[in-house]
Amino acid sequence: MDIMEVSDLCKTYGKGEAKVEALKHVTFTLRKGEFAAVIGESGSGKSTLLNCIGALDEPTGGKVLIDGQDLFAMTEEKRTIFRRRNIGFIFQSFHLIPELNVEQNIIFPLLLDYRKPDAGRVEEILEVLGLQERRSHLPGQLSGGQQQRVAIGRALITRPKLILADEPTGNLDRKNSQDVMELLTKASGQFQQTILMITHNPNLITSVDRVMQVSDGILTDFGGNDNEKLS
Amino acid sequence: MKNYLNLIPISAKIHRRQTRMTRWCIVISVFLISTIFGMADMFLQSQKNLAIMTDGAWHVMFRELTQEQTALLAARPEVKSLTRYAAANYKLDMDYKVEGVQTVLCGFDESFFEIYPQARLSEGVFPAENGEALVTESMRERQGLSVGDEVVVTTPDSSLTFRVSGFVEDTSMMLKTDAYGVFMNTETYLSCFREATLSEDFAYYVEFAPRCRIQKTIEDICGQMHIPRDKASENARLMGTMMQSGDQYIWMLYVIALILAVLVAASGMMMILGSMNSSVAQRTEFFGMMRCLGATAKQVRCYVRMEALFWCLKAVPMGLFASIVTVWGLCRMLQALTPTWFSEMPVFGISLPGVFFGILIGLLTVLAASRTPARKASGVSPLTAVSGNADTVFAAKRAAHTGRLHVETALGLHHAAGSRKNLILLTSSFAFSIILFLGFGIGVTFMKHAIVTLRPYTPDLSIVSSDNSCDIPDSLYRELRENAQIKRIFGRRFAYDLPARMQGEEKTVMLLSYEDCQFGWAEDDLRRGDMESVRDGEGVLLVEKAGFETKPGSEIELETKKGKHHVKIAGTLGYAPFDSGENVGTVICSEDLFRELTGETGYTVLDIQLQEQSDDVAEEIRSAAGDAYRFSDSRKSNRETRTVYFSFALFVYGFLAVVALIAVFNIINSIGMSVSARMRQYGAMRAIGISVRQLRNMIAAETFTYLAGGLAEGLLLGLPLHYYLYRQAITARWGDAWRAPVMECAVIAAVMIISAVAAMTGPVRRIREMSVVETIGL
Repeated sequence: MDIMEVSDLCKTYGKGEAKVEALKHVTFTLRKGEFAAVIGESGSGKSTLLNCIGALDEPTGGKVLIDGQDLFAMTEEKRTIFRRRNIGFIFQSFHLIPELNVEQNIIFPLLLDYRKPDAGRVEEILEVLGLQERRSHLPGQLSGGQQQRVAIGRALITRPKLILADEPTGNLDRKNSQDVMELLTKASGQFQQTILMITHNPNLITSVDRVMQVSDGILTDFGGNDNEKLS
Repeated sequence: MKNYLNLIPISAKIHRRQTRMTRWCIVISVFLISTIFGMADMFLQSQKNLAIMTDGAWHVMFRELTQEQTALLAARPEVKSLTRYAAANYKLDMDYKVEGVQTVLCGFDESFFEIYPQARLSEGVFPAENGEALVTESMRERQGLSVGDEVVVTTPDSSLTFRVSGFVEDTSMMLKTDAYGVFMNTETYLSCFREATLSEDFAYYVEFAPRCRIQKTIEDICGQMHIPRDKASENARLMGTMMQSGDQYIWMLYVIALILAVLVAASGMMMILGSMNSSVAQRTEFFGMMRCLGATAKQVRCYVRMEALFWCLKAVPMGLFASIVTVWGLCRMLQALTPTWFSEMPVFGISLPGVFFGILIGLLTVLAASRTPARKASGVSPLTAVSGNADTVFAAKRAAHTGRLHVETALGLHHAAGSRKNLILLTSSFAFSIILFLGFGIGVTFMKHAIVTLRPYTPDLSIVSSDNSCDIPDSLYRELRENAQIKRIFGRRFAYDLPARMQGEEKTVMLLSYEDCQFGWAEDDLRRGDMESVRDGEGVLLVEKAGFETKPGSEIELETKKGKHHVKIAGTLGYAPFDSGENVGTVICSEDLFRELTGETGYTVLDIQLQEQSDDVAEEIRSAAGDAYRFSDSRKSNRETRTVYFSFALFVYGFLAVVALIAVFNIINSIGMSVSARMRQYGAMRAIGISVRQLRNMIAAETFTYLAGGLAEGLLLGLPLHYYLYRQAITARWGDAWRAPVMECAVIAAVMIISAVAAMTGPVRRIREMSVVETIGL
């Protein structure tokens, strides 16, 4: 079952001679529970692709359907609400809320929806992330790896249709990078979570189901099946 | 680039947008401080001009000096001019007349015209020769005089003839009392009127040289010449504006002005400190990067300070220029509305104290205010630049309470209250607006007490019965009422010293009549009872005073020449503009009832308000009235009253407007800065799924936390200050008990609340329009 459908996605910056085509007619789909990675050189357009899929940036043309809903046919307010309920983000710079502790940061998307968090679910996530002991710590009191784990927990809490991870290990050392990748793989397997990760680190794609490459705005699908290790 | 500090102008160019608010903050702070000091300076200059115009340019006046003392005084180096002056019949209670009109006689030296600029020579020359005199313009017009003509002054015993050497403008007192003035040189005066002059009407006006320490000099003069100190009267108003007053009360006003000046300077400092803190907080990564590249903490501190000074290079002159233009505007306004009074004030003058304090406080504040941000910046860890943790550097030390409140509200409250230092700084800067407003608000109360204002019933012209009877015919009233140049005419009939019986006691009362307009104006003073039945002639009004207190409904028996009448007291007034004298009551009735009680149909006084202040109309009305009645022209004295009030009010309300502007700017700036400092965080929240509405609520919660804290702190500190200033400036002088300044508090609170709401619109618009991708650098 396709959870996401990207069709004919284009993004152009500038005009005339300064015109840059960051994405050229990108079309692909993701199935539920699929863990896909998009690799590419710096400036290839992979971040633009992620931003457009996450509705953080508006494409020049094309469509992004998540769970059958066209993101850019919605009003801004509806899109925001859709995003917080259906798309989880994991950023390279974590972007945690410094005034909220670990637990509050994780349940933040639910709080924005004025929903009461399920205590069992929060415990489960804290346990999976290994953050039970640190639940009352502020982000400033955590290491980079721990902060990224909190960000993963925040992305998982709403059981989103899609998690978008933008260089999730970019600011981490080797050990922490490994931990984060294990967590994402676990999330994909254990919670049937669809994940689209962007990275320029070829070592990370060993644990994903499918690999795509963006080069000069053109997406090439290298293929791969569920649970198949690509190398 | 020879030095790392050369990076400042380059960085300023690149971070133009980021630092724009801080630079504007310095501009506006310097502008406000410089404007307030410039206005204070111009205010003193205008009040000095006004004091010279109304009270004269003399500093001290001695009475009853001997010739030797006069010579010694004139010879002192500190004395710029010594003017002799004497007058007879000044109160119009002696029998000196010209053509039957009461005449004031004055003798003075020619330098009198310098110390009394209002006494202008309109034609001719000063009467240097014996037997020459200057006469007033009104006398010239009514007697048809020219230079060289002769006037005869009749005295109680004989008559004296003077040749007219010139004409001087009437004083407001002469116009109001319809009197003539004949002025001669001192020698002529003494030879003719020495005997008729009371000793207290001989005066010696002294004007001291500039930069003279007047109080000390007066002490010296009195000591050396054995003059009792109470024989030396000071020109209190002028000395007050020159900061030379010896009056304790005036010194207390100086202290109050100093307190307010310190508060203004402090509020400027708070504003700049807040914006600089925020500016540094926004560039944490940059300072971390500098530390990473090898800059020492001291070098970062120096960088932040030099950067602050670099901003001052443009911001301080811009602020000064704006303030100078504002003060020019105020002076132009003052001159345009009252050209004769403030003609000597320079339109394009530059207030040196304003510029001085603008630069001093601007620079000092920026340097002092940059200390904390510089320390913060130098304390940024080099790790910050590379860890991507920049946002958390100034993070709160404890987590927000999201349990009971919506998360956005909880975060907004936490943004405001999470850092105690930040909360104190911002609430204090908000509180300063209230403290300043309450402090300057004393000026309004002071003005209302110290300066007489024109009342709605103040007439321009009055026709008054010469023997206080009701002999002005009703026909004159009806004739004048038809004159289109007259805006309003209202008459009063008076019956004096009527025997009366009230609550069984014998009394004496003054009965007077009102017509519709006057009843309308008296409504505000109605304490008890009903005005309508008085208007309809069914009762009378009693003015409350000691011995004349009764309830409406009681009766009063009045004995007029038509016999005894019982009238009902329908209402009581707390105040009436007519004084009936001690132990004499005032009873007011309608015109019809007055006629019924006394049989009088004429008026004692006809008050006239003109459409336009034209001399021709005044002359036309004077002709219509004829010579049988006194003609009082109050236009000049009204103009003086209006000018004094206007010049004071312009500055007092100007100060309040600037203080309100400080509040508006401070709130808008603080909220703008606070939002700018958290823009990345807001961007990240937007990515996670917070809506613009929720972010607006978050900013609102933060804003109103500052506002509530500022209001509470402002009232807590402002009210005691108001109490202290009120006691010193008002109670000490007029005895009024302190009352909580509810209106002032309401006005400044409203200004602050409206500003807070307005302050949120800009940042919310920025958030709505922001690109999440660009803001969080995806």
